[in-house]
Amino acid sequence: MTDADKALEAVSHVVLRRTGFVAGVRRVLLRAETASLAALVGLFIAFSIATDLFITKPTFVSIASLAADIGVVGVGVTLLMIGGHFDLSVGSVMGLSSFVGVSLFSHFGLPAPFAIIGTLVAATLIGLINGLIVVATRLHSFVVTLGTLLWARGLLLWASAGQVDSLNLPDSFVGFVAGPKLWGFRMSLLWFGLLATVGSVLLFRTRLGNWIFAAGNNPEGARDLGVPVKRVTVSLFVMSSFGAGVIGVIQAARFDSVDPQRGQGLELLAIAAVVIGGTLLTGGFGSVVGTAIGAFVFATIQVGLILSGVPGFWFNTTVGILLVLAVLVNNLLGRFVLGAGGRGLAAKSTLVSAKAVTGRVLEP
Amino acid sequence: MNDSAGRSETPVLATEAVTQTFGPVMALNDVSFQAMPGRVVALVGDNGAGKTTLIKILCGVHRPTAGRILMDGEEVQFQSASDARARGIATVFQDLAVCDLLSISRNIVLGNEPQRRIGPLRFYDRKSADQIAMSALAKLGVQLDSELSDYGATLSGGQRQALAIARAIHYGSRCLILDEPTASLAARQTQHVLDLIRRAAEDGQAVILVTHNFLHALKAADDVVALAHGRVVGRFLASEVDIPELVDLVSRR
Repeated sequence: MTDADKALEAVSHVVLRRTGFVAGVRRVLLRAETASLAALVGLFIAFSIATDLFITKPTFVSIASLAADIGVVGVGVTLLMIGGHFDLSVGSVMGLSSFVGVSLFSHFGLPAPFAIIGTLVAATLIGLINGLIVVATRLHSFVVTLGTLLWARGLLLWASAGQVDSLNLPDSFVGFVAGPKLWGFRMSLLWFGLLATVGSVLLFRTRLGNWIFAAGNNPEGARDLGVPVKRVTVSLFVMSSFGAGVIGVIQAARFDSVDPQRGQGLELLAIAAVVIGGTLLTGGFGSVVGTAIGAFVFATIQVGLILSGVPGFWFNTTVGILLVLAVLVNNLLGRFVLGAGGRGLAAKSTLVSAKAVTGRVLEP
Repeated sequence: MNDSAGRSETPVLATEAVTQTFGPVMALNDVSFQAMPGRVVALVGDNGAGKTTLIKILCGVHRPTAGRILMDGEEVQFQSASDARARGIATVFQDLAVCDLLSISRNIVLGNEPQRRIGPLRFYDRKSADQIAMSALAKLGVQLDSELSDYGATLSGGQRQALAIARAIHYGSRCLILDEPTASLAARQTQHVLDLIRRAAEDGQAVILVTHNFLHALKAADDVVALAHGRVVGRFLASEVDIPELVDLVSRR
């Protein structure tokens, strides 16, 4: 703390930030990322014991590549979920928007950079539609984006006639977007890192970030204070779809093809990574860093199980169990720390905080 | 308009013969009402008396069917709640006062976040936010058990009210409308909030205290306006009326 802070604390009757061991531990336990980070470390230890192949560069390259795919989508989904909404349509948006980009490239002969822009514009437009419908109709975003999941996929199947197309993209382009150019790691890791950094700064270091948390926590109260909750909500849907567009570009380049089935199930993977990363399904709380860790947890399980010689179908089982455990631990930490933190909280606010942090409704 | 000391002042916010109908229902009937700077006026009445409708007109949510709204003696028409807020009318609803999972500092600056420029970009200025939060709370002498970086969820009901009042005053409100600020508060917290309301008035705010608790109304207010069935049924100085009289007035059929 600076001297100026201390001077302020002295004249007012409030404490800026408690120092000391207990306060520090409490803060760490309340962070969104704590449980997922513990899970990731645990997995690394377990797999490195299970197989000698785990602590090797090819393993890390595979993990990073998988994590980047989920993470690129996960960043936008995180922001949206903190703002109080779901996006089930990211998988379909990814498929449809990359089809648009690829068509611009192969049928209309536009250069690759314009095709990228076309893909991102198509994705953000679908996000805009999602957001406007949610804001205008007040339907639950779950329903609205489930609708988009279906219509966008249907549109894609119709437009592509269900055919997988190979593209023959220029090598330089493929290398730049998705090639293994970062000391053997794929470029997608860089895009993931950039998106996650921007997302995290946006969330914690800008006014919009404050509004996103407020919109997820207490939309009416936020509106009373002049926060443009509707505008925030629409922009969150746009960001979520933008991430789907980015992964659409990356995968079209990596596989040098467009596949009408691509991206199916991506929405659930993304939501699982977000929730493992400590973001509340009910909104108002979470972090992009947590989601990044969640994406790595996912990828580590997948690669680690394969290397350990475990049959592939155990992947979903493991992820499922871990998902529930991670959320459970997050809930327990929140309740333990805020509920019985030994700070003499009033009974009511204890319940409020337990409800707020765990997303559970506890009746007084 | 003369107050008890005989000074003449213009009300910050007033209604003149306001009537509000919702279809066949007449929620307010010819209600005239003034909020004077530096005074607390309690608006009391039973459930369904029209208190909530009147507040919603005063804070810009509803536009009255008939009658006028005056600010500083001049007629105004609020286009929306944000329009009313921009003109200095702050409304505090207890349940909505605080975001549980934002820090206390972030709660205080919400909607007015201080920003710092770095090149073309603008960032949330956490240091300034902390300073704003401290000076806003210090101005009213609000005490919190929680640290400013802690979650809003750790605040008690009374502290939530205190935060909202301090926030409104800091951001330039002139008329403070408090909707049932003491409902569901423990005794000690209630006293704290009532003290705070007095301090807000001493600071020059025109405070409108909406409550169905007559005891709290008489403790904190200078003036009492009783509503029943959408009409004003009594106006008193708080020092010149007692609870039985008020109960009798508002519950008369």
